[in-house]
Amino acid sequence: MSRVFIVGSSELPQRVSVGRDEVLDWVFVVLPGVSASIPLVIDIDGPGAEVRLAGLYLCGSDEQVVFDIEVRHNVGDSHSSQFFNGIAGGHSRAAFHGRILVRPDAQRIKAFQENHNLLLSETARVETTPQLEIYADDVECSHGATTGFLNLDEQFYMRSRGIPEAEAKVLQMISFLSPVLARIADPAEQERLRAEVEAAVRAL
Amino acid sequence: MSLLTIKNLHASVEGKEILRGIDLRVGRGEVHAIMGPNGAGKSTLGAVLTGRPGYEVTEGTVSFDGRDLLAMTPEERSWAGLFLSFQYPVEIPGVSITNFMKAAVNARRKAQGLEEMKAGDFLKLMKQKMAFVQMKGEFAKREVNVGFSGGEKKRNEIFQMAMLDPTLSILDETDSGLDVDALKIVAAGVNALRTPEKSVLIITHYQKLLEYIVPDVVHVLKEGRIVRTGGKELAEQIWREGFEGIV
Repeated sequence: MSRVFIVGSSELPQRVSVGRDEVLDWVFVVLPGVSASIPLVIDIDGPGAEVRLAGLYLCGSDEQVVFDIEVRHNVGDSHSSQFFNGIAGGHSRAAFHGRILVRPDAQRIKAFQENHNLLLSETARVETTPQLEIYADDVECSHGATTGFLNLDEQFYMRSRGIPEAEAKVLQMISFLSPVLARIADPAEQERLRAEVEAAVRAL
Repeated sequence: MSLLTIKNLHASVEGKEILRGIDLRVGRGEVHAIMGPNGAGKSTLGAVLTGRPGYEVTEGTVSFDGRDLLAMTPEERSWAGLFLSFQYPVEIPGVSITNFMKAAVNARRKAQGLEEMKAGDFLKLMKQKMAFVQMKGEFAKREVNVGFSGGEKKRNEIFQMAMLDPTLSILDETDSGLDVDALKIVAAGVNALRTPEKSVLIITHYQKLLEYIVPDVVHVLKEGRIVRTGGKELAEQIWREGFEGIV
């Protein structure tokens, strides 16, 4: 089941159970001006299930966005991934709490989580807390989290080719969010959201 | 009038003076080489001319095509016709060569008061310049410098140079890390862009590249100053005797 949730206008699920051989493919989009708390618990209750979560958040002024995600591998032979990238500017606050739980008898699990953040100002704050709780042996699991500023070497390289500083920053931000947008399964919807995100980045 | 006139240029990085009074004139259509040992200030000169942040000019003037170069932003210098082939080209994940060059070409057109280039014309130009440095079609879709070999990175620099058609190209250690085949492709590319109006400044540690791109004038930079200037035979002398032997 592929779905895109526009936080602030779509109704958000808070708890879902994923059964045998089911595929859940969800992308969350938080555009500037939206503050939200996004709690989500996913129970993987059937073997062969696959959960793919992705999201982007774009905070430019004083937004507060909190993702609180828990993926529970209650049975073996299931896969999950979380891939969230966010940009925080102004005085905004963004937090990503992602938990992966693997129950004792849930063997042959693959679970991945990544959260990358860009800070646009000294006053924006980002909090990222990955948590892994693994009680089985046969598990392939990884997580990674980064927070940083726009790369100045990239900017100078672009400017030396005549790309103005503001446009260089826009290109950097779009390229940072692009891998999340690439997760949107429907090409028309992906195209529409790419345009919307680009417009939002330009207006930051 | 010279294309580039540098007078008594002093520059510092993190409070340390690296350039200590450079005087240099590059005429239109001329190829100059700047040679010198490690730490002489060669790359700093390229960085200062293109306006890299972190490099502070403390004294002196630079005029380019009759304009005050040091008062311009890096992007304005590019629009004015200056180009630097980076010693270490930067990787930009997520940005394709096509989108990168489209942004660069159209930014300059906008600065010149022109409309954006038509998509068909742009692709035609890309194709033509890619062939020029022997890059295959898939190159256009690749992310800028990501996963490129050393030779591919330098060919990408010369490709960008061909796309932007600069009046003055500065080649910063373009020969470093290149095998002979890649060196020949790069040199042939640079030579094909030479016209009576366009000038080249080659920054290099070795004389190897100068066998393929023959300079009109060779300067030796040492401890932030130009200590010798001569013809192309000076490069050969350096090759035989080393920098210590001639200065």
